[in-house]
Amino acid sequence: MSGIKRFFRHENAGLLFSLPACIYMLIFVGYPIVSNIVLSLQDVTVANLSRGEKHFIGIQNYMKLFQDDVFLKSLGNTLVFTISCLIFQFLIGFALALFLNRPFRTARPVRGFLMIPWMIPMTVTALIFKLLFATDIGVVNYLLRSVHLISENIDWLTSSKTAMLVVIIANVWIGIPFNTILLSTGLTTIPQELYESAAIDGANARQSFFRITLPLLRSTIESVLVLGFIYTFKVYDLVYVMTSGGPVNSTHLLSTYSYKQSFELFNYSMGSSVANVLLLILLMVGIIYLKITMQGEED
Amino acid sequence: MGEERKITGNKNVILCIISILILCILLFPLFWTLITSLKTEKEIFSNPPTFYPHELNTQSYAAQVETGDFNMFRSFANSFLISLGSMLIAVVLAVPASYAIAKYRFKGRKIMLLFFLVTQMLPVSVLLTPMFIMFKGMHVYNTWWSAILADATIGIPFSVLILKNYFASIPGELEEAAYIDGCTRLGAFMRILVPVAKPGIVVCAVFSFLYAWGDLAYGMTFILDQQMRPITAGIFNFMGQYGTKWSYLSAFAIVTIIPVALIFIFMQKYIIAGMTNGAVKG
Repeated sequence: MSGIKRFFRHENAGLLFSLPACIYMLIFVGYPIVSNIVLSLQDVTVANLSRGEKHFIGIQNYMKLFQDDVFLKSLGNTLVFTISCLIFQFLIGFALALFLNRPFRTARPVRGFLMIPWMIPMTVTALIFKLLFATDIGVVNYLLRSVHLISENIDWLTSSKTAMLVVIIANVWIGIPFNTILLSTGLTTIPQELYESAAIDGANARQSFFRITLPLLRSTIESVLVLGFIYTFKVYDLVYVMTSGGPVNSTHLLSTYSYKQSFELFNYSMGSSVANVLLLILLMVGIIYLKITMQGEED
Repeated sequence: MGEERKITGNKNVILCIISILILCILLFPLFWTLITSLKTEKEIFSNPPTFYPHELNTQSYAAQVETGDFNMFRSFANSFLISLGSMLIAVVLAVPASYAIAKYRFKGRKIMLLFFLVTQMLPVSVLLTPMFIMFKGMHVYNTWWSAILADATIGIPFSVLILKNYFASIPGELEEAAYIDGCTRLGAFMRILVPVAKPGIVVCAVFSFLYAWGDLAYGMTFILDQQMRPITAGIFNFMGQYGTKWSYLSAFAIVTIIPVALIFIFMQKYIIAGMTNGAVKG
């Protein structure tokens, strides 16, 4: 007993404080991660879940996946979705950050209001964009018609050619505030004197952007892009509510396809396998994030 | 950070106008949803569309109170309960853990930190199926608890990582002075550190609440009874059944946004702090 007491006396007392949170996370996250891997190596479906007759079938589920056209399509879709979202939300977010960091009167309040799209539940965002892009009553079709860009209403969400575009637009709308806020916080850390002395030396706006702003913002840009990737790659609610992966699987992402396998087709093991592929890709990029964050964390 | 030299005169006016125009464009989807919720179903289908409700119709909100499986005010209360519960769990567990990670150099600290970072990145898809099976075994499936317990797993890692920075910035002398005055470790933590870290704790509470409020996957998968489901799942079901009843749907959306809007109005600075602190190491 006194040995235990001595162990927790000094620095190790920290363990006691952090134990409750750790145990909680181990039960509700750690265990599921492991059990998800086990599940993906079994053949659990709704038929044998309750009977408890599950068999180890090795990597058969994964082999099946890579012959499954819908899975391959989802994988491709996920990459297209993630990369398009990243590019647009970053460029628009960056432009807004540069603009709103100029010290004019409404800059701060506008930056504040911009955050709203980011805070709204994705289910609601999905509903809002369905309303905007509805075929008959959608205001987007109306606006495009009134400037004569189109003559017939477009079936935005029910056509496999355009559904992905709308989903991307909706997600970019959510992503812009995140990019703007982080980048504009990064911008405020750049000393104003640098720009002043560059101006004295005759640098124009473009030169000071490429020679001062970009290099000094590098670490912020890295974090924004990596985090943006992590958040976007795993998006689920938005797409599930807007299209449920359709039409004709044109908007299925790994996350929605995993859900479909588990909770619509009740192939729990297949669903787990898809989720693991998603996790694996996420972790490959996540390592960059872990490296950035763990830097300077001494033991 | 340097003092800001304000832009004045005409240039200021022009920049203000441009910024407000940009804001209007970006927030147009919200405006459109709000006015749609106040139109009659007939006016919604009018062509060309009207940009403000010609005939004010609050029936879409009122009808929800009285009838149907899809009483949005009950879903609202469900969501509120679930979000509050998971917020409490997240804050109570994350505060001591983040204090320990910030102030103590114990064995396994780095691994613990890494674990929280990894859990913060996890997609719901990975946890959904095993949690579903686990909750069935624990007999919390189809109760509020399942969503509360699951939603807290989003709030905890976020809160630990944010609060760690707050605690780390509190000078050690404060704690030492408390020990000299005869405080125990727990006493110093409760009486000195927690009050000082209060702004950080508010950030965590707000975000844990918002994460749970926005959740669809957990609430929809673990709770089957429409009576007990959160408002996000309510919207989703409603869309499935009355797909084009846009007046009701947009009213549903607006009601869901209300708490978010209130949090935005009263806690804006905490939101900005959370977004920037959580992502880029302070």
